[in-house]
Amino acid sequence: MKFFDLLRLIFGNLNRRKGRVALTAIGVVIGTAAVVILVSLAIGLQMNANEQLYGIGDLTQIQVSPTYGEGPVVVGPGGGGGGGGGAPPQQKLLTNLALEEIRAIPGVEWVVPREFLMAGGMVKYQRLEGWANIIGVDVDDLALLGLEATQGSTALGRGVVVMGPMIANNFYDPRQRPGQEPPPPPDLYDQQIQMIVSKWDAQGNETRKNISLRVSGVLKEARGESDWTIYMPLDQVKALNEWAMNRRINYNKDGYSMAVVKVANVDQVLDVADQITQLGYQAYTPQSFVQGINNFYVILQVIFGGVGAIALLVAAIGIANTMAMSILERTREIGLMKAVGATNRDVLAIFLGEASGIGFLGGLGGVLIGWLAGQAINVIAIVYLAGQANQQGGPPPSVAVYTPLWLPVFALVFSTLIGMISGLYPALRAATMIPVMALKYE
Amino acid sequence: MTKSLVRVAGLKKYYQMGGTVVRALDGIDLEIKPGTFTVVMGPSGSGKSTLLYLLGGLDRGTSGEIWVDGQSLNDMDENSLALFRRRSMGFVFQSFNLIPSMTALQNVAFPMQFAGVTSARREMQARNLLAQVGLEDRAEHRPTELSGGQQQRVAIARALVNDPDLILADEPTGNLDTASGAAIMQLLSDLHLAGKTVLVVSHDPRMTRFATDKIFLLDGRVVSEEEYQSASLGTMDL
Ligand SMILES: Nc1ncnc2c1ncn2[C@@H]1O[C@H](COP(=O)(O)OP(=O)(O)O)[C@@H](O)[C@H]1O
Ligand SMILES: [Mg+2]
Repeated sequence: MKFFDLLRLIFGNLNRRKGRVALTAIGVVIGTAAVVILVSLAIGLQMNANEQLYGIGDLTQIQVSPTYGEGPVVVGPGGGGGGGGGAPPQQKLLTNLALEEIRAIPGVEWVVPREFLMAGGMVKYQRLEGWANIIGVDVDDLALLGLEATQGSTALGRGVVVMGPMIANNFYDPRQRPGQEPPPPPDLYDQQIQMIVSKWDAQGNETRKNISLRVSGVLKEARGESDWTIYMPLDQVKALNEWAMNRRINYNKDGYSMAVVKVANVDQVLDVADQITQLGYQAYTPQSFVQGINNFYVILQVIFGGVGAIALLVAAIGIANTMAMSILERTREIGLMKAVGATNRDVLAIFLGEASGIGFLGGLGGVLIGWLAGQAINVIAIVYLAGQANQQGGPPPSVAVYTPLWLPVFALVFSTLIGMISGLYPALRAATMIPVMALKYE
Repeated sequence: MTKSLVRVAGLKKYYQMGGTVVRALDGIDLEIKPGTFTVVMGPSGSGKSTLLYLLGGLDRGTSGEIWVDGQSLNDMDENSLALFRRRSMGFVFQSFNLIPSMTALQNVAFPMQFAGVTSARREMQARNLLAQVGLEDRAEHRPTELSGGQQQRVAIARALVNDPDLILADEPTGNLDTASGAAIMQLLSDLHLAGKTVLVVSHDPRMTRFATDKIFLLDGRVVSEEEYQSASLGTMDL
């Protein structure tokens, strides 16, 4: 039998029992719509959560610090491992060689070392004083780190700094009298600020150094570390640290105190972090936290999908029932089909096709209704959630319910499959009927 | 002597009904030559339908052999039997067995789908056959819009679509009034005259008018005409 003839026969047969097919398909419609809406809702919730989470930092970046171990492991007498108890972790410093080692990991886009200024962090602007995290990074432009400027540029250079947007809020007037209004946060862009660094000698005498710097850029709020940080070129911070410690720093020997690793793809972040840990360094990524949250939403999707699947299971019983009835009513027709030369396989294909057809039609309706309902929920929920966000702060959500393309496709295939499975037993019975018995059936 | 189209030897069909065995066919031997018009006569319950269905490969006997065109039906599996029916057999039933949702044309064309005939050829051939049975103007009618005699003619047209070796008709006039019954008999006779081999099961003696061969059945056995006549005096008129 030709496939197209088979299809036409199947849909002709369904068409001649419209009412019953429609009633049976309603169960599938409800089940499929439930699957589509609930899973879309879970996905929407997850996307919302992720949108909020992106504030905690660029998810494609890994922060790597050295492992300061107890020195090289001493091999005990008798050779071998020595064993017993946790061996102290092997020291692994972030030397330039180490950075090369990390750069070689597949998926790593770049590795940038950074240093804290260890000689204080007081900054002055006119009569105001403030504190900041002062970090030296080995890049010419902070844009490479994914940072953006609201004022000026993100480029680093001699004598200039780029600062986070929250620094200005940190400034206070040291001569402020009780009861007096605090000064408003100063607009520091393109202003000269003073950085005070200090060191103490063995006798406890403090030496101060005043460095004048111009603010060449203010960063966009990222809701992370960068908001509270003043960025400078790495060699400048290195020079200040050398001055404070009275000794030269050799990054090939001492290593950096931290490096930022950028991974090309979010999916590879955990994998790369794992490999860095395996090399013996400390790796931290917000992705491991996000992963936990994602797992929660995957579980939610499965549970929601399961609820819909139960509705589909009930629908499946309906299909099986309708098919069993239909086969009973059409017993003589089955006998006739066999008399005129239909093979068992032809009969099986026809009835399996009819059952799948009910599943498919129901699935089509369910996908359509589920998708439309999702859009309606979106319109209502976004208005509501935006109101909530206004009260509680934070960005308003862009979606409440999200239907990715794979979901309707999957739901349609699944409902068709459900139909086919429900029709399996009735169709097998039809296919294996003895022709004479079917023809004589009253 | 011509080779026989159908040969039956020692054919038995027993049904187990609770504790008793019903011997629907109890040792049948017969031959059907090509181009003949055979009428199988017998009272109700004598095993006529059972014999016809076994010849057509719609069921299997309990024992014995059937050869059609030299091929033993016992040797065929279910799939081969389906293909055998598709290629070699044409069935006509007492209750027509048309599919109610299909037009006359679609009913006639229906079997050709299983043979994989293209839809254009199906339609052409079905129209020709409907014309042959005098129903070209009823092609788009559904069975409920046709008289019993017309429905049976559609069924005969359907039995002809595969150009079968043997047409098997089980009481084709049983559900019809006398006039349309006679017309159906005439139609079957015309097919015979056109060269077809026809086997008709009937308990209507008028059918024998067209017969070239007659087979008499009593209680699942083939009997002579004399034996049949004397026995049927008691059973025929109920
Ligand atoms: N499926 C069956 N189960 C039990 N007995 C059957 C079955 N089919 C036919 N019979 C019996 O076999 C005998 C012959 O039946 P059948 O061939 O239909 O007779 P006819 O067509 O000559 O009236 C009858 O006694 C009938 O009751
Ligand atoms: Mg009968």
